[in-house]
Amino acid sequence: MRRFALALLLALCVPAFGEQKTPPPPTPPRPIPWPAITEKKLDNGLTVVMAPLASVPKITTELTFLAGRGTEYRTHPGLAQLAGRVLTEGTNGRTSRQLKEELRSIGGSMSVSVDDDATTITASALSEFSPQLFDLLGDVARHPAYAKSEVALARSNFASEIEEERSTPDFVAEEQLDKAIFGRHPYAFVVPEPTEIEKVTPEQLKAFAGARYVPNNAHLIIVGDFDPAAIYDQAQKAFGSWQRQPLAAEATAVPPRRDKRQIYFVDRPSSVQSTIAIGALAMPRQSPDYMSLRTAHMIYGGAFYSRLTLNIREAKGYTYSPYSQVNLRRRSGSFSANAAVRNEVTGPTILEMLYELDRMRVAPVTKEELDAAKTYSIGGLSLELESQAGMASRINSIYTYDLARDFLQMFQTRLDALTPDDIQKAAAKYFDTYRGAIVVVGDYGQVKDQIAPFGDVVVVKH
Amino acid sequence: MRLRMFLLCAAISAVAIGKPVTVPVVYYRLPNGLKVVISESHAAPTVTVALYYGVGFRVEPKGRTGFAHLFEHMMFQGSANVKKMEHAKIVESNGGNLNGSTRLDFTNYYETLPSDRVETALWLESDRMRSLDVSEENLKNQKNVVSEEVRVNVLNQPYALFEWLDIWQSANQNWFNAHNFYGDLRDIEAAKLDEVRQFFKTYYAPNNAALVIAGDVSPDAVRALVEKYFGDIPLQSVPERPDVSEPRQTKEIRLKQTDKLATVPALALGYHLPDQNSADYAPMVLLDLILQGDESSRLYQRLVKEKAISVDWSGGINFELGNEFDYDGPMLLVSRTTYKPGHSGDEIVKEVDAIVLQVQQQGVTKKELTDAKVRFRSNFYDQLESTMGKAHLLATFALFHDDPAQINKVLDAIDAVTLDQVQSVARKYLVPENRTAIDRVPEKKEAK
Repeated sequence: MRRFALALLLALCVPAFGEQKTPPPPTPPRPIPWPAITEKKLDNGLTVVMAPLASVPKITTELTFLAGRGTEYRTHPGLAQLAGRVLTEGTNGRTSRQLKEELRSIGGSMSVSVDDDATTITASALSEFSPQLFDLLGDVARHPAYAKSEVALARSNFASEIEEERSTPDFVAEEQLDKAIFGRHPYAFVVPEPTEIEKVTPEQLKAFAGARYVPNNAHLIIVGDFDPAAIYDQAQKAFGSWQRQPLAAEATAVPPRRDKRQIYFVDRPSSVQSTIAIGALAMPRQSPDYMSLRTAHMIYGGAFYSRLTLNIREAKGYTYSPYSQVNLRRRSGSFSANAAVRNEVTGPTILEMLYELDRMRVAPVTKEELDAAKTYSIGGLSLELESQAGMASRINSIYTYDLARDFLQMFQTRLDALTPDDIQKAAAKYFDTYRGAIVVVGDYGQVKDQIAPFGDVVVVKH
Repeated sequence: MRLRMFLLCAAISAVAIGKPVTVPVVYYRLPNGLKVVISESHAAPTVTVALYYGVGFRVEPKGRTGFAHLFEHMMFQGSANVKKMEHAKIVESNGGNLNGSTRLDFTNYYETLPSDRVETALWLESDRMRSLDVSEENLKNQKNVVSEEVRVNVLNQPYALFEWLDIWQSANQNWFNAHNFYGDLRDIEAAKLDEVRQFFKTYYAPNNAALVIAGDVSPDAVRALVEKYFGDIPLQSVPERPDVSEPRQTKEIRLKQTDKLATVPALALGYHLPDQNSADYAPMVLLDLILQGDESSRLYQRLVKEKAISVDWSGGINFELGNEFDYDGPMLLVSRTTYKPGHSGDEIVKEVDAIVLQVQQQGVTKKELTDAKVRFRSNFYDQLESTMGKAHLLATFALFHDDPAQINKVLDAIDAVTLDQVQSVARKYLVPENRTAIDRVPEKKEAK
């Protein structure tokens, strides 16, 4: 009895011990301390953007050229990708091996990615070695050697990688979906055929680099633990004397507007799952619909607590990790919903994925869903402050897609303005699977009867 | 003259090391045995709450492969005050992200959120530690989900994670190290609800766990919250750990597999490693970096660049599962390479032996060792950068060594390694009789 009384007394003095039935009340939202971003332009046209972020004594840089993988893909498939990958394999003054050894000695890394719109060299090192890092980055960007032997090796390794990637169902589904959505647009191009790579010569690569990897076609993002004035000097030293070049106009092409749903089945015998991707054409990244489509996607399949996961994972147990994605680029974009499921539930899964897409289109989301999606989005953006690489890539997107420079600062305000009606409108416009594509990668013999009810099927050879 | 040069270099490199990074560590135990680590940092307005339980798939029940991982899924199926999926709903609607994972020697549950929501995360974790609430229906659902996870990550993929799952099963003899960690689908299907409840009762005790709060918080305020939510969860008796030791390997193991889904051949190698607490360990960590740590490394340069046999080269300690510190038991050093058709796994093994022989006979160069230390430091900072990365190291040092402050001693141990030590561990451990090799080639397709 006494003990009981004592416990009660304690309960009054300090917050209650033991089981608490409800979550702690939410605290009011706080402003996010975005780093101070400084933008400068060198005389040769190179945009330099600096954002100090002292999470660890390191520095991360992204040097981006607006030259996507689809550049010249009709005449020279794979040229842009090879030009990017051989960049780090030697310069006029350094062999590939010297370059990698120098990187090692500064705790550095350097890699090149080539996506739909851009070629980006991402390089990082310990902060104390930033002068060496800029020296290497400048050399790689300005004086790539494209030595015969390195080009030959890269061609052969690229061909093997393509073969390997095409044995994984996710890659095959993504490649087929891009082809289906973008048709004759350069965004339909993902990788060349292995046999086409053999035709690319060192001379072509040099010419490509000379025309595209130029300062007036580039921006340099620098994030990390540094003094901006000193870092700007180092960037100027590495890139100041680089000559601007006349730029070729970006090829224009209009992605096809489809007038009915089409199913593409990639037959991959021995598959124990069907890998499903349902997609449709969306819009460029700059579109004013960005915030509403992004939020619709969060509610549909962009979070763990989303309609897609609740349905086909937690209620039905069809799949492990369903998701949706919004992939918006400079000139166009796409939306897709994805899941990998055991063969016997292929049809039922497609039915539920389509049902959830249509539900977003015909009825408004609840206020609770929308509020949760807003907090999740802004919280997620603030988590990017935990990583120099994450911030660099976020800031880079502002320049690659030429967004408003106050994108980060205005994000919360734009998010707050969204209503359930905005979300429904975006879904109605962009979740339109009646004019979209359904891609299934799997064992056709085993699941074909489950696919037929959803539309016309084209069987694609794997 | 040479001596003076050397001294000068040493002085310069001491300056060049840059700002030291010290991770703040507050460490204590609650009376119920829960280990608590608080690490304050204000680089970002975020916090990670990570709860690590001292049980992983290594010691899961025999006949129930994959059970530790299936159980991890059940921890998201509800507790007394948090219904199925509400955990995710609450974390995400507070602006955070969440996950759980099962590894060799621990299972973790974590959320990273805006730091003003730290109390919410502590409430959520305490509720499921005190009152897991599972049902037949939820178990059936998660058996399906986990089976799909095994299919999507293993059975429907070329190579089927052979560099992890198959290498461990082939290189080891003790069942605890040599079973299918992801799980046989039949074992997953056979799991029973009372086994789930029993596993919870046995291992998910405060005295078998470490709770880390890392990020933009004040240690005093967090301490009070930890007391509030975890202070009265009763301690339980946790069974003694089974013997997970591995008999010494005496003969090389060479295996060949065929793969229905792969189109390009691949090879995986595994060497047994010295104990984490032995003097051989830090030299081994650096030797791994020198041999395969990046594109300047000896194996990459020889196999990918000079000989052009391999298309890629990767590997490491606790490869694909963790890092050099986050385990407690026998471990392998693994290499994995995809190679060009027309070559063979044997050819690659021969090249590896030639590279290793060079190190065994002549050692590595002074520059390689200095650079490897810089490389290690840089990689280590990458791990410390995010609040979750830091929480992960703190939790495993607390769980396995009862000393999270070891996080601040790692770099000193690495910096102390000598050339002789590196040469000596190459001789001792990188020998064929300590190795397992699996050559995995595409199954020949019949002409259609």
